[in-house]
Amino acid sequence: MRYTTVDRSLRVIQAPPRPRTLIHPGAFNPVRIHSRCARQGRHVRLSLRPGASLHEAIVLELARAGIANASMTILGGAFRHIDYCTAPPDPRHRMVVAYTEPIPAGAAYLIFGNATLGKTAEGDPLIHCHAAFCRDGEPPLGGHLIPQTTIVGDIPVPVLVTALEGFELRALYDSETNIRLLQPQGGEHGEP
Amino acid sequence: MANPDVENGIMGRVAYARIGPNEDLVQGVEKLCLARGFRNAFVRGALGSLVDACLYTRDGRYTHIAGPAVEIVSLAGEVRAQADGSLSASLSGVVADPQGHVHGGPFVPGANPICMTFEITLEEWLPHPAPDPS
Repeated sequence: MRYTTVDRSLRVIQAPPRPRTLIHPGAFNPVRIHSRCARQGRHVRLSLRPGASLHEAIVLELARAGIANASMTILGGAFRHIDYCTAPPDPRHRMVVAYTEPIPAGAAYLIFGNATLGKTAEGDPLIHCHAAFCRDGEPPLGGHLIPQTTIVGDIPVPVLVTALEGFELRALYDSETNIRLLQPQGGEHGEP
Repeated sequence: MANPDVENGIMGRVAYARIGPNEDLVQGVEKLCLARGFRNAFVRGALGSLVDACLYTRDGRYTHIAGPAVEIVSLAGEVRAQADGSLSASLSGVVADPQGHVHGGPFVPGANPICMTFEITLEEWLPHPAPDPS
Protein backbone atom coordinates (compact mmCIF):
# COMPACT_ATOMS: atom_id res chain seq x y z
CA MET A 1 0.00 0.00 0.00
CA ARG A 2 1.31 3.45 -0.89
CA TYR A 3 1.05 6.47 1.37
CA THR A 4 1.83 10.03 0.55
CA THR A 5 4.29 12.20 2.39
CA VAL A 6 3.65 15.75 3.53
CA ASP A 7 4.54 18.36 0.94
CA ARG A 8 5.23 21.54 2.92
CA SER A 9 4.77 23.84 -0.05
CA LEU A 10 2.10 26.49 -0.30
CA ARG A 11 1.80 27.59 -3.87
CA VAL A 12 -0.13 30.19 -5.81
CA ILE A 13 -0.78 28.64 -9.21
CA GLN A 14 -2.44 29.58 -12.50
CA ALA A 15 -4.69 26.52 -12.92
CA PRO A 16 -6.37 24.33 -10.31
CA PRO A 17 -4.37 21.16 -9.59
CA ARG A 18 -5.74 17.76 -10.37
CA PRO A 19 -7.23 16.41 -7.10
CA ARG A 20 -5.47 13.40 -5.60
CA THR A 21 -7.43 10.20 -4.92
CA LEU A 22 -5.94 8.51 -1.85
CA ILE A 23 -6.00 4.76 -1.31
CA HIS A 24 -7.61 3.93 2.03
CA PRO A 25 -6.93 0.68 3.88
CA GLY A 26 -10.47 -0.70 3.72
CA ALA A 27 -12.92 -1.58 0.99
CA PHE A 28 -14.57 1.30 -0.88
CA ASN A 29 -18.09 1.98 0.42
CA PRO A 30 -20.35 2.59 -2.58
CA VAL A 31 -22.55 4.92 -0.52
CA ARG A 32 -20.61 8.19 -0.36
CA ILE A 33 -23.11 10.49 1.36
CA HIS A 34 -24.81 9.34 4.57
CA SER A 35 -27.47 11.84 5.52
CA ARG A 36 -30.52 12.42 7.67
CA CYS A 37 -33.06 15.21 7.66
CA ALA A 38 -35.17 16.88 10.36
CA ARG A 39 -38.39 18.71 9.61
CA GLN A 40 -37.12 21.87 11.29
CA GLY A 41 -34.06 23.18 13.08
CA ARG A 42 -34.15 24.09 16.75
CA HIS A 43 -31.63 26.76 17.66
CA VAL A 44 -30.13 27.53 21.04
CA ARG A 45 -27.62 30.18 22.13
CA LEU A 46 -25.27 28.52 24.59
CA SER A 47 -22.76 30.31 26.82
CA LEU A 48 -19.72 28.19 27.64
CA ARG A 49 -19.13 28.34 31.40
CA PRO A 50 -15.86 29.97 32.53
CA GLY A 51 -13.37 27.47 33.91
CA ALA A 52 -15.15 24.41 32.52
CA SER A 53 -13.65 22.09 29.92
CA LEU A 54 -15.04 22.53 26.42
CA HIS A 55 -16.51 19.03 26.73
CA GLU A 56 -18.44 19.60 29.96
CA ALA A 57 -19.43 23.17 29.05
CA ILE A 58 -21.23 21.84 25.97
CA VAL A 59 -22.42 18.41 27.09
CA LEU A 60 -23.88 19.29 30.51
CA GLU A 61 -25.78 22.38 29.43
CA LEU A 62 -27.16 20.88 26.24
CA ALA A 63 -28.24 17.75 28.13
CA ARG A 64 -30.25 20.04 30.45
CA ALA A 65 -31.82 21.56 27.33
CA GLY A 66 -32.72 18.07 26.09
CA ILE A 67 -30.21 18.17 23.22
CA ALA A 68 -28.07 15.08 22.57
CA ASN A 69 -27.10 15.69 18.93
CA ALA A 70 -26.16 19.06 17.51
CA SER A 71 -24.06 21.08 15.12
CA MET A 72 -22.44 24.16 16.63
CA THR A 73 -20.58 27.33 15.72
CA ILE A 74 -18.32 28.61 18.48
CA LEU A 75 -18.34 32.37 18.03
CA GLY A 76 -15.01 33.13 19.63
CA GLY A 77 -13.58 34.02 23.02
CA ALA A 78 -10.62 33.69 25.35
CA PHE A 79 -9.61 30.25 26.60
CA ARG A 80 -7.48 29.55 29.65
CA HIS A 81 -5.87 26.60 27.87
CA ILE A 82 -6.16 24.96 24.45
CA ASP A 83 -4.88 21.50 23.51
CA TYR A 84 -5.04 20.61 19.83
CA CYS A 85 -3.66 18.17 17.30
CA THR A 86 -3.23 17.91 13.55
CA ALA A 87 -3.52 14.89 11.24
CA PRO A 88 -0.38 14.17 9.20
CA PRO A 89 0.19 10.84 7.38
CA ASP A 90 0.07 7.87 9.75
CA PRO A 91 3.67 6.69 10.31
CA ARG A 92 2.37 3.19 11.13
CA HIS A 93 0.27 3.08 7.93
CA ARG A 94 -2.88 1.89 9.71
CA MET A 95 -4.83 4.79 8.23
CA VAL A 96 -4.11 7.44 5.60
CA VAL A 97 -3.61 10.03 8.36
CA ALA A 98 -3.55 9.88 12.16
CA TYR A 99 -3.88 12.49 14.88
CA THR A 100 -0.67 13.69 16.50
CA GLU A 101 -0.24 13.62 20.25
CA PRO A 102 -2.00 16.61 21.88
CA ILE A 103 -0.08 19.86 21.39
CA PRO A 104 -0.50 22.34 24.27
CA ALA A 105 -1.15 25.85 22.96
CA GLY A 106 -1.63 27.27 26.46
CA ALA A 107 -3.74 30.40 26.92
CA ALA A 108 -5.18 31.42 23.55
CA TYR A 109 -8.03 33.29 21.92
CA LEU A 110 -10.36 31.00 20.00
CA ILE A 111 -11.19 32.94 16.81
CA PHE A 112 -14.06 30.66 15.81
CA GLY A 113 -14.76 27.00 15.46
CA ASN A 114 -17.24 24.35 14.55
CA ALA A 115 -18.25 21.41 16.71
CA THR A 116 -20.53 18.40 16.51
CA LEU A 117 -22.21 16.78 19.52
CA GLY A 118 -22.95 13.08 19.16
CA LYS A 119 -22.33 9.84 21.02
CA THR A 120 -19.58 7.25 21.20
CA ALA A 121 -20.40 3.70 20.13
CA GLU A 122 -21.02 3.00 23.84
CA GLY A 123 -23.53 5.88 24.10
CA ASP A 124 -21.43 8.46 25.95
CA PRO A 125 -21.47 12.11 24.79
CA LEU A 126 -18.79 12.96 22.22
CA ILE A 127 -17.62 16.34 20.90
CA HIS A 128 -15.77 16.69 17.60
CA CYS A 129 -14.36 20.22 17.35
CA HIS A 130 -12.15 22.04 14.85
CA ALA A 131 -11.15 25.65 15.50
CA ALA A 132 -8.76 28.48 14.70
CA PHE A 133 -7.02 30.24 17.57
CA CYS A 134 -4.15 32.60 18.28
CA ARG A 135 -1.74 33.31 21.07
CA ASP A 136 -0.64 36.84 21.89
CA GLY A 137 1.74 38.17 19.24
CA GLU A 138 1.79 34.96 17.19
CA PRO A 139 0.20 33.95 13.87
CA PRO A 140 -3.10 32.07 14.12
CA LEU A 141 -3.15 28.28 14.23
CA GLY A 142 -5.87 25.71 13.68
CA GLY A 143 -6.70 22.06 14.10
CA HIS A 144 -8.65 19.46 16.03
CA LEU A 145 -9.26 20.57 19.63
CA ILE A 146 -9.10 18.15 22.56
CA PRO A 147 -12.42 19.00 24.30
CA GLN A 148 -11.61 17.31 27.63
CA THR A 149 -8.47 19.38 28.29
CA THR A 150 -9.37 22.65 26.55
CA ILE A 151 -10.52 25.06 29.28
CA VAL A 152 -12.85 28.06 28.84
CA GLY A 153 -11.43 31.42 30.01
CA ASP A 154 -12.92 33.94 32.45
CA ILE A 155 -15.71 35.25 30.19
CA PRO A 156 -18.53 33.05 28.81
CA VAL A 157 -18.01 32.11 25.16
CA PRO A 158 -21.15 32.20 22.95
CA VAL A 159 -22.11 29.23 20.79
CA LEU A 160 -24.89 28.95 18.22
CA VAL A 161 -26.37 25.46 18.48
CA THR A 162 -28.48 23.78 15.81
CA ALA A 163 -30.11 20.78 17.50
CA LEU A 164 -30.50 17.67 15.34
CA GLU A 165 -33.71 15.86 16.25
CA GLY A 166 -35.31 12.69 14.98
CA PHE A 167 -31.99 10.88 14.44
CA GLU A 168 -28.67 10.56 16.24
CA LEU A 169 -24.97 10.81 15.53
CA ARG A 170 -22.78 7.88 16.58
CA ALA A 171 -19.02 7.43 16.32
CA LEU A 172 -18.96 4.05 14.61
CA TYR A 173 -16.11 2.11 13.07
CA ASP A 174 -15.71 2.88 9.38
CA SER A 175 -13.92 0.01 7.68
CA GLU A 176 -12.92 2.06 4.61
CA THR A 177 -10.84 4.59 6.59
CA ASN A 178 -10.13 2.28 9.58
CA ILE A 179 -11.25 4.83 12.18
CA ARG A 180 -14.33 5.56 14.25
CA LEU A 181 -16.17 8.58 12.95
CA LEU A 182 -19.52 10.26 13.49
CA GLN A 183 -22.30 8.92 11.32
CA PRO A 184 -26.03 9.66 11.32
CA GLN A 185 -28.15 6.76 12.57
CA GLY A 186 -31.82 5.93 13.06
CA GLY A 187 -34.90 7.96 12.16
CA GLU A 188 -36.48 8.00 8.73
CA HIS A 189 -38.46 4.76 8.78
CA GLY A 190 -35.90 2.90 10.88
CA GLU A 191 -33.02 3.07 8.41
CA PRO A 192 -29.76 1.80 9.94
CA MET B 1 -41.44 48.72 -4.44
CA ALA B 2 -39.53 45.50 -3.75
CA ASN B 3 -35.87 45.81 -2.84
CA PRO B 4 -33.92 43.51 -5.20
CA ASP B 5 -31.14 43.23 -2.60
CA VAL B 6 -33.44 41.66 -0.03
CA GLU B 7 -34.85 38.17 -0.42
CA ASN B 8 -37.48 37.30 2.15
CA GLY B 9 -38.09 33.73 3.13
CA ILE B 10 -38.17 31.20 5.93
CA MET B 11 -35.95 28.39 7.11
CA GLY B 12 -37.13 24.86 6.30
CA ARG B 13 -35.64 21.45 6.98
CA VAL B 14 -32.23 20.67 8.50
CA ALA B 15 -29.95 18.04 6.95
CA TYR B 16 -26.83 16.49 8.47
CA ALA B 17 -24.46 14.44 6.34
CA ARG B 18 -21.22 12.59 6.54
CA ILE B 19 -19.52 12.72 3.13
CA GLY B 20 -16.91 10.05 2.45
CA PRO B 21 -13.25 10.17 1.44
CA ASN B 22 -12.16 11.29 -2.05
CA GLU B 23 -15.48 13.03 -2.74
CA ASP B 24 -15.24 16.69 -3.71
CA LEU B 25 -16.20 19.13 -0.98
CA VAL B 26 -18.21 21.59 -3.08
CA GLN B 27 -19.94 19.10 -5.35
CA GLY B 28 -20.55 16.82 -2.35
CA VAL B 29 -22.58 19.59 -0.71
CA GLU B 30 -24.52 20.09 -3.95
CA LYS B 31 -25.22 16.34 -4.13
CA LEU B 32 -26.44 16.37 -0.51
CA CYS B 33 -29.00 18.97 -1.62
CA LEU B 34 -30.02 16.71 -4.51
CA ALA B 35 -30.36 13.77 -2.10
CA ARG B 36 -32.57 15.79 0.24
CA GLY B 37 -34.51 17.82 -2.32
CA PHE B 38 -33.12 21.16 -1.13
CA ARG B 39 -33.04 23.92 -3.75
CA ASN B 40 -31.57 26.66 -1.58
CA ALA B 41 -29.71 26.21 1.70
CA PHE B 42 -27.27 27.78 4.14
CA VAL B 43 -24.38 26.04 5.87
CA ARG B 44 -25.04 25.87 9.62
CA GLY B 45 -21.90 23.98 10.62
CA ALA B 46 -19.15 21.96 9.00
CA LEU B 47 -15.88 20.27 9.87
CA GLY B 48 -13.66 17.58 8.45
CA SER B 49 -10.48 17.05 6.50
CA LEU B 50 -9.22 17.39 2.92
CA VAL B 51 -6.45 15.53 1.09
CA ASP B 52 -5.14 18.91 -0.16
CA ALA B 53 -6.98 22.24 -0.26
CA CYS B 54 -7.41 24.57 -3.22
CA LEU B 55 -8.71 28.10 -2.62
CA TYR B 56 -9.32 30.96 -5.03
CA THR B 57 -7.16 34.05 -4.69
CA ARG B 58 -8.65 37.51 -5.17
CA ASP B 59 -7.04 37.90 -8.59
CA GLY B 60 -8.59 34.69 -9.91
CA ARG B 61 -5.64 32.37 -9.37
CA TYR B 62 -5.46 29.43 -6.94
CA THR B 63 -3.74 28.72 -3.64
CA HIS B 64 -2.78 25.09 -3.17
CA ILE B 65 -2.34 23.89 0.42
CA ALA B 66 -0.65 20.51 0.56
CA GLY B 67 -1.78 17.75 2.89
CA PRO B 68 -2.77 15.24 3.89
CA ALA B 69 -4.62 16.14 5.93
CA VAL B 70 -5.76 19.73 5.65
CA GLU B 71 -8.33 20.26 8.39
CA ILE B 72 -11.45 22.32 7.68
CA VAL B 73 -11.64 24.63 10.65
CA SER B 74 -14.65 26.68 9.67
CA LEU B 75 -16.90 27.00 6.68
CA ALA B 76 -19.63 29.40 5.60
CA GLY B 77 -21.67 29.33 2.45
CA GLU B 78 -24.86 28.63 0.65
CA VAL B 79 -26.39 26.56 -2.10
CA ARG B 80 -28.54 28.29 -4.72
CA ALA B 81 -30.75 26.92 -7.47
CA GLN B 82 -29.65 28.34 -10.83
CA ALA B 83 -31.78 29.46 -13.76
CA ASP B 84 -30.26 26.72 -15.95
CA GLY B 85 -31.65 23.96 -13.71
CA SER B 86 -28.44 23.32 -11.78
CA LEU B 87 -27.49 23.77 -8.13
CA SER B 88 -24.44 25.77 -7.16
CA ALA B 89 -22.70 25.76 -3.78
CA SER B 90 -20.49 28.72 -2.86
CA LEU B 91 -18.33 27.77 0.10
CA SER B 92 -15.70 29.87 1.81
CA GLY B 93 -13.68 28.86 4.80
CA VAL B 94 -10.57 28.54 6.90
CA VAL B 95 -8.32 25.48 6.78
CA ALA B 96 -5.32 24.33 8.82
CA ASP B 97 -2.40 22.55 7.14
CA PRO B 98 -0.53 19.58 8.72
CA GLN B 99 1.66 22.06 10.63
CA GLY B 100 -1.40 23.87 12.07
CA HIS B 101 -0.94 27.02 9.96
CA VAL B 102 -4.23 28.53 8.81
CA HIS B 103 -5.27 29.69 5.34
CA GLY B 104 -8.58 31.02 4.07
CA GLY B 105 -10.62 31.71 0.98
CA PRO B 106 -13.32 30.34 -1.33
CA PHE B 107 -13.08 26.62 -2.10
CA VAL B 108 -12.51 25.76 -5.77
CA PRO B 109 -15.17 23.30 -7.01
CA GLY B 110 -13.69 19.97 -8.07
CA ALA B 111 -10.32 20.57 -6.41
CA ASN B 112 -10.93 19.80 -2.72
CA PRO B 113 -11.10 16.02 -2.19
CA ILE B 114 -12.21 14.90 1.28
CA CYS B 115 -9.54 12.99 3.22
CA MET B 116 -11.24 11.00 6.04
CA THR B 117 -14.68 12.51 6.54
CA PHE B 118 -16.63 15.72 6.17
CA GLU B 119 -19.57 16.55 8.43
CA ILE B 120 -22.00 19.23 7.34
CA THR B 121 -25.30 20.62 8.57
CA LEU B 122 -27.42 22.51 6.05
CA GLU B 123 -30.57 24.48 6.76
CA GLU B 124 -33.00 24.74 3.88
CA TRP B 125 -33.88 28.28 2.72
CA LEU B 126 -37.36 28.76 1.30
CA PRO B 127 -37.57 32.16 -0.41
CA HIS B 128 -40.96 33.83 -0.60
CA PRO B 129 -42.14 34.16 -4.20
CA ALA B 130 -41.14 37.48 -5.76
CA PRO B 131 -44.06 39.97 -5.74
CA ASP B 132 -45.94 40.42 -8.98
CA PRO B 133 -44.55 43.65 -10.54
CA SER B 134 -48.02 44.55 -11.89
